[in-house]
Order: sequence, then structure tokens, then C-alpha cells
Amino acid sequence: MVELKRFRALVTSVAALLLAVTVTSCGGSSGGGGEEETGPVTLRFSWWGNAERAGLMQQALDLFHSKNPTITVTPSFQEFEAYWQKIATETAGGNAPDVLQTDFAYLREYADRRVLYDLKKQEGKNLDLGDLVDGLKGVGEIKGGLYGVPVGGNTWGFVYNPALYAQAGVPEPKLGWTWDDYRAGAKQITEKTGVFGSSNPIDTYYNLELRLRQEGGSLYTEEGGLGFDRARLAAFLAEGKKMADDKAALPVEKGVQIKPKHALESDLVAGSPAWDNFLDRYSKATKAELKIAPSPSDNPQVLGQYLKPALLLSVSQKSEHPAAAAKLVSFMINDPEVGKIFGANRGLPPTNAQRSAAQLTGPLAAVAAYEDGIKDKLGKTPPAPPKGAGSLEQAFIRINEELLYGRITVDQAVDQFFTEADETLGN
Amino acid sequence: MATVTPVRPVDATPPGAPGPRGARRRSGDGITGYFFLSPWMLGILLLTLGPMATSLYLSFTDYDLFDTPRWIGLDNYARMFQDQRWLRSVQVTALYVVLAVPVKLAVALAVALLLNSERKGQGLYRAAFYGPSLIGGSVSVAIVWKAMFSDDAAVDQVLRVFGVHTGGWSGNPDFSLLMLVLLATWQLGAPMVIFLAGLKQVPRELYEAAEVDGAGRWRRFASITLPMISPVVFFNLLMETINSFQVFTSAYVVGGPNGQPAGTTLFYTVYLFDRGFGDYRMGYASAMAWMLLLGVGLVTAFLFRSARGWVHYSGEKA
Repeated sequence: MVELKRFRALVTSVAALLLAVTVTSCGGSSGGGGEEETGPVTLRFSWWGNAERAGLMQQALDLFHSKNPTITVTPSFQEFEAYWQKIATETAGGNAPDVLQTDFAYLREYADRRVLYDLKKQEGKNLDLGDLVDGLKGVGEIKGGLYGVPVGGNTWGFVYNPALYAQAGVPEPKLGWTWDDYRAGAKQITEKTGVFGSSNPIDTYYNLELRLRQEGGSLYTEEGGLGFDRARLAAFLAEGKKMADDKAALPVEKGVQIKPKHALESDLVAGSPAWDNFLDRYSKATKAELKIAPSPSDNPQVLGQYLKPALLLSVSQKSEHPAAAAKLVSFMINDPEVGKIFGANRGLPPTNAQRSAAQLTGPLAAVAAYEDGIKDKLGKTPPAPPKGAGSLEQAFIRINEELLYGRITVDQAVDQFFTEADETLGN
Repeated sequence: MATVTPVRPVDATPPGAPGPRGARRRSGDGITGYFFLSPWMLGILLLTLGPMATSLYLSFTDYDLFDTPRWIGLDNYARMFQDQRWLRSVQVTALYVVLAVPVKLAVALAVALLLNSERKGQGLYRAAFYGPSLIGGSVSVAIVWKAMFSDDAAVDQVLRVFGVHTGGWSGNPDFSLLMLVLLATWQLGAPMVIFLAGLKQVPRELYEAAEVDGAGRWRRFASITLPMISPVVFFNLLMETINSFQVFTSAYVVGGPNGQPAGTTLFYTVYLFDRGFGDYRMGYASAMAWMLLLGVGLVTAFLFRSARGWVHYSGEKA
């Protein structure tokens, strides 16, 4: 009897399973029907971020729904790396979300592959770009089309711990300081305080870009090739290697162990080149009071920094509701309430209306003051990096790490980087 | 094993049901059998064989997830042998297999021998040694492991007591792989339990006879235990080798997609994943997957071949 009961239970559960499969597959096929734009619309919206940002996003989306009752937004979020894996697979499966957050380094890759919708078609209708701050106007444009709208801006800078500078008797960084000042100061701090003077500048691609821009060059050419030669890269890497040998910069093995945390968060260094809005994150992680200054430059005329779209919103080419999607994007960058909700979570807000609505306090107020102070020193934002720039940035970090571990020489590092650049940018 | 009760479905059929067993089996049972198998059959067809065939096809294309795949013949396979990172990943994985498999099996066997004797609370010990395997490939264990082997963390402090200064292993290219070997060894539960089962099967008389002949402990182990459990050793060797070639989670958590530090934890699977989902070179990643299958197949074939010389099955002539 027991056996028979079990058998029945099995049959019932198998039947239930089959039924469930049938029901869900039916649901899937009927969902994609093309409703009229006037009827209720459901948008899928994906972004990367953490739980804190998700909470803010939900507030903003609730507000959007209350103002546009016919549009429902289904949100989903991931961490940065997992996000790109997911977007890539969803796109390959023809199932990309209607609205998606994009990064400057990936924008061209996705635009070139005709994954993104040209928002020029909605500009002035459902998308209002008139109030964007000067540095962010037109940054999502590629070959005449508009593929991303910035929802926040940030710029490079030098984040430091003033107490350690004072302890070592090194003057605090300020506009006009040079790379020699930076290196000598870092060395002195390590010697006097026992805390390493700086993170190693060659661990970030943007430090190379900064140097090139200060010399009048750029990271990539207009045609999408590398904007520097082997000798320039070798000199840059040799400088970083020397800082490590002099103990002016944090040893690579220390930095590797604490990843994904930054050395400033673990009180391992007295300063580091960084994106300015990260001042907030670093300040929350450490007890030390941190400040931000402009980057060093050997060229007093050119600071080399620019306003970068911290992140952008794009609409999928395959979206069936581009008008509603554009409305959402427009709302996200223009609505003052949204500016108040996010503050500088995604970099400083992109429009004048949102900037004045955002009530910034503490480190975020410091970031706003910093950007205001160097406003007229900022250069033009470069065009979106070429396809493959994301991978190349990873290669840069990986190769320089091997250099700092002493596994390869500067020349070998340069060779490896140019080989990978040929492969990545060539295709 | 002791609780199995004989079940005869035929006896349970109501009177009047169709006749003898043989006839029934030929007509109805087959279809019913396939019906019950169907969820698994469908699963294998749709979720395993289908994707495998697709991946074989993609391995001959330049598929990048977005554009239509373009046939490029054997280019992906040829390119691997010039790809420095691919060669590195093969080295790292091979070194790991050569280190982790023998160490893990030796320790598992040693533990099994200890646990085989009659002692109070033996069940507790067995559970304790098996425990780490239950949480096996989880991300959290790898994170804890990485934290334990960082600067000034538990391992560093203990070693310092003995005057050994290595710093954190997770940032040191000379020790990073060793750290993963230790993680694998710590999770020795599965082979240990199988060894234990094998040890229980060895007839006691053999040991008694050997003792009478004056054989010492080591002699008994080498001449009785090892040959008697050699099929179990072979089975464990095979399973661990195949598993070690495919290690991913712990390596990815400790070293990330670049195999930090300095590429010393760039396992084959980690590189494969990075190629496919980081660089969007799905065609190349597919080719890598088939190359791995080929490599593991060759190693397995080699192990089977060598087994003829050292594995003794009972009932076989020595």
C-alpha cells in the first residue's frame, strides 16, 4: 500500500511539473505582443550597483510610476562584472532589457554592434537634453547617433590623508603641483610615517591617459588606435617600477590581497589618484579624514582632466517601447526629485536642475566644491573609447601587475601590451 | 542496506490484470519505462547534448555573442598554441593536478586508515573529516580561505610563531597555488569515505596470517592493504584527476579572472570563462572547452592503460 501511495504521489508530481512547464511556456509566448503605445507598457530596466543604490533606484522608479501610471518598470541589478556577463548573454539571446545602464568603456562596443537604439530619434520629443551641464553635452554620441545619456559625471583627482602629509612634513597637494612633487612627497611619507606614500600610479589606465593628455595627446586616436607609442609606455611603466623599488608606492602584493577594496579604505596608503566621487566611498570605509586635490601636472597650462560620464543610460535597439524608454531616461536625468534621491551616488548629477536639488553633505559636498574649483581647467571629454577598450584596460592592469611582481621586464610588458592591443583593437 | 524489503509489483496488481511477466515486459513496460525516463532524456537532449553540439560548431567559428558566427575552420585551435595566456593556463592547471591529486589522495588514505580502527567516538571523527567536503565548492569557503591566508591573518601568525615569514599567501606568487592545493586537500571527504569502504573489505585473515609470518606494520600496508584496495585507489585517482582539471570556483574567487597574483592561479577554466564572458570570444572559448575535453580524455586513457600494471581485482590471477 505504501508503495502504491508513493507511486501515485510520483505521478501527480510529474503531471504537475509537466503542467507547470506548459503553462509557463505559454505565458512566455503571449507576453511579447505589440501593444499600442497608449496602452499600459512594461519596461525592463537593468543596472549595476549595490543594495544601497537599489534602494534609491526603487524610490526613483516609484516616483516615475506615480507620474506615468501607464508605464510599469521591472528593475534588475547586479555587481559590475556579473552585469556585463548577463547583458552580453541576454543580448545574444535577443532578450536585452529595454533600458540599460552602460559604461563609457563599453558604449562603442554595444553601439557598433547595433545593440543600442539611436536616442536622437526621441530627442526633443520624449527626451529632454537641454539642461545637461556643459561638460556632459553630447558625450554619448557616436558617428552622429546618440547611444547613451549620462546620468552622472565625475573627474579624476588625487585623494589623500592630510594627517599623514602633515606628519611627514610634506605640503598638501594643490593645483600646480608637479609629478616630481608627487613622487618626492610619496617617498618622504613612506620614510617618515611607515605608511606608503601612494598607490602605484601604473595600476590604473586613467593615469596613463592623464599623462598623455597633459602632453597634448590622447589614449586613443580618432580612428580608434592607440594614441601612444612603445617608448612612451615604457617610460610610464619605468616610473611606476621605480616608485615601487623606492618604496614610495604600495607593494603590489599588498594591493592584490585586499581586492576589491582600495588601499585607502584599508589605511595602507597616504594618497591615491582616483575618481572624485569615490571620496565618499573611501571616507565611509576609513576613520581617517580624506581630502581631494587636482592631479599633478608637469605642464602648468594643462591639467589633463575632463568630466567623464560616470555612467550612462541606453535603450535597447530591440525595445518595443522606445518612446516610453526615452521618457524614463529623461525623467532620470531631469527630475529634481530624482537628483535629491540619488545625491552623488552615481557621480554628480548630470543636469543643472538636479545639481541644485541635490542636497550634498560631507564628502559629497567636498567633491562638488572640488569640481567647481577646477571647472575652467577641465578639458574636452574624449570620444567613447573603441570597441575592445574594456578588455584592453584589463590587460593593462594584468600585465603591469606581472611587471611589479618582477616576473617580466618593462620591455616585455610593453611587448605584451602592444600584442594584445593589436589583437583586441585590430578585430 | 539492511532495510531493503522485497517489492514485487506483479503481486500488487488487482486480479484480472494481464498475464505472465514476460509478455507484459515486452508490450507495456518498455513504454512506461521510457515515459518515466523522459524528464531525464529530455534534459540530456536539450540541456547537455544540444549545447555540446552547438559548442562544437561554435568552436570552428568566430562567434562573439552579438554577430552571426562566421566559419573560420581550425583557426581557434591553431591560435591557442601561440597564445601565451593559454599556455600559462595549461601550465598552471597541470601543476595543480600533479600537486593536488597525490597530496589529497595520500592524506585521504592516511585519514581513512586512522578512522578504520575501532575507537571510541569514531563516528564523530568521521563526520568531522567529511564535513569540509559538504561545503565543497562554495564561494564562501574560498573567501574565508583567502582571508585566512592574507597578511597578518591566521596562517601568517601561526607560521610566525615557528619563525617562518611568508607574508600573505594570497598575494605571493610563490605560494598562491599551494594555498589552493591545501584547500583541495582539506576537502578530502569523498575519497576518504571510499577508501574507508575499501579498507573494510580487506579480509582480516590476511593480516593475521601476515602477522604470524612476522610482517611489520609497513610490510602489511604495502603488501596487503595497498594491493587489496588498488581498485579503490584507481577509482579515486581517476575521479580526483578529472575534477582537478576542472577546478573553477575556488580559483576564481581567490585569483579573479586574471589569475592573481601574477597569473599564478590562471586555471584553464578561469581563462576559458574570461575569454568567453569577459572578452566575448565565445568561439575561442568553445574551442578551449573541446581542447580540455580532449586533454582530460587523453590523461584518463593513459591512467586506464597504466592501471593494468598495478590494479588488482579480486578473483583475478596475480
